Amino acid sequence: MEDLMKDLAQAKPPEPEVDRERMERDLARIITLPRERSVRTLFLKRFAPLLVAAGVIALVVVLLPKPTPPVQPAGPARWWHALTRQWSMMIVGDPANPYAVFIDSKTDRWQSANQQITVLQKDGDVQPFSLERDTDPWEAAGRPAKVPQIGGTHLVRIGPMKPAVQKTDVSGFQMSLHSAARFDSLDALPADPPELKQALETIVGNDPYRIGSLAMELMASNVRQDQRQAAFELLKTLDGARFLGEVRLSEERKGIGVAIPAPPTFQFSGVETQLVIDPETGMPLVRRDMLTAAQHNLPANSPISVEEYLLLEQVTIDPIVPQDVPVNGEVESPIIER
Amino acid sequence: MEDFSGVYRECYPRVLAYAASHAGAQRAEDITSETFTIAWRKLDQMPSNALPWLLGIARNLVKASRRQVWHDEIEDIPITDDFVRFVELRAALASLSEADQEVLTLIAWHGLPAAEAAQVLGCTTATYFVRLHRARRRLKAALSTPNSDRARESWKTS
Repeated sequence: MEDLMKDLAQAKPPEPEVDRERMERDLARIITLPRERSVRTLFLKRFAPLLVAAGVIALVVVLLPKPTPPVQPAGPARWWHALTRQWSMMIVGDPANPYAVFIDSKTDRWQSANQQITVLQKDGDVQPFSLERDTDPWEAAGRPAKVPQIGGTHLVRIGPMKPAVQKTDVSGFQMSLHSAARFDSLDALPADPPELKQALETIVGNDPYRIGSLAMELMASNVRQDQRQAAFELLKTLDGARFLGEVRLSEERKGIGVAIPAPPTFQFSGVETQLVIDPETGMPLVRRDMLTAAQHNLPANSPISVEEYLLLEQVTIDPIVPQDVPVNGEVESPIIER
Repeated sequence: MEDFSGVYRECYPRVLAYAASHAGAQRAEDITSETFTIAWRKLDQMPSNALPWLLGIARNLVKASRRQVWHDEIEDIPITDDFVRFVELRAALASLSEADQEVLTLIAWHGLPAAEAAQVLGCTTATYFVRLHRARRRLKAALSTPNSDRARESWKTS
């Protein structure tokens, strides 16, 4: 009988090859979907105040010494993997009849202590978008492939973006791709908000926005949970910062947020940068620039630039890069010279 | 989220293999994607050993779109004695009920221990062993039926 099972095992159909790109693409899509809340979670939510009160009383009664806050070491994983989706809006066309373009793409970033591999402009696309109802200035202009920025000196190319792969050997930990900030060791960064602020000041100077930006980048990096928490507390203390409390995001997700005033861009003034995090894990969910006042036919509280954190994780698998894209080849940006 | 992506990467190939063997390679990726979408939605219910639970989800999805594609897949294999045995086994297996096929293939093709296979099917391990014993007996019987002999002959002469 055992032989029969062995024979049957040999008659197994061939195993399909795993399409790693599709696998990762599906994962990125799945984790943006809303999750069901379990009955237990709902129960806990409902009775949370009661449970908290009971917990406090119990603590007072037994006078437990304050436990040392749990510290999670950064771990020995080979790569810090960050998959993010960015979209931003740019005002283009004729200044008398402007419209917008959405520049939408993903960035897949793999970082170790001495190497960084980044896939840029993944699934990238630039689409025109009318700022007014009932008119389509891009159509009316004959659907141009390249459109001029308003207030800028460049053109924006409409249509799909070409992905690019960049591989660099770096010493220490670099923050975002465009950031010059680099740390020899993330582990050595303080977990106390004022001390952390001081440490960041030594890198970017005493500029609240630059400190805030760096703190946000830090929160999306391979830092410990207590360091991430300190960075969020630091953000709340910056000049002009506002704690937003609970923030509802798309697809039924929500988190808690903080906003800091942002400098004007070449097209928008009255902008603030918001960071929304998952209060349970402390991990960032979204970083976005929002208008604080109506402009260009856009109402206040319109997002003009959004970075969504789809995956932030330690992994031991090798970076997955598109095979048909040359490493360190030219990056064909959708923003081009006139 | 990290836990989920870890489980996803670890279990994806096995869920894909399960889906491919029961619904065909073309549908396997979609079923696998749907399996993990459901798993994500029900993440609170995901056990620490997630594979049997995931295969249980995949099984329900496969049932909705069951289509055996064995004949498509065996055409490229050279006709040798091993191949004849292979065809014979497939033919015998295909003649069994879906329930018997599942009981046998969870172990023989997907390498699950009996306790995990029982979890996939939603029965106790003891019940699984009883069903496995009966399914093996029926497979053996199917291998010696005239139909199986005819299958063997037809492949030998084709």
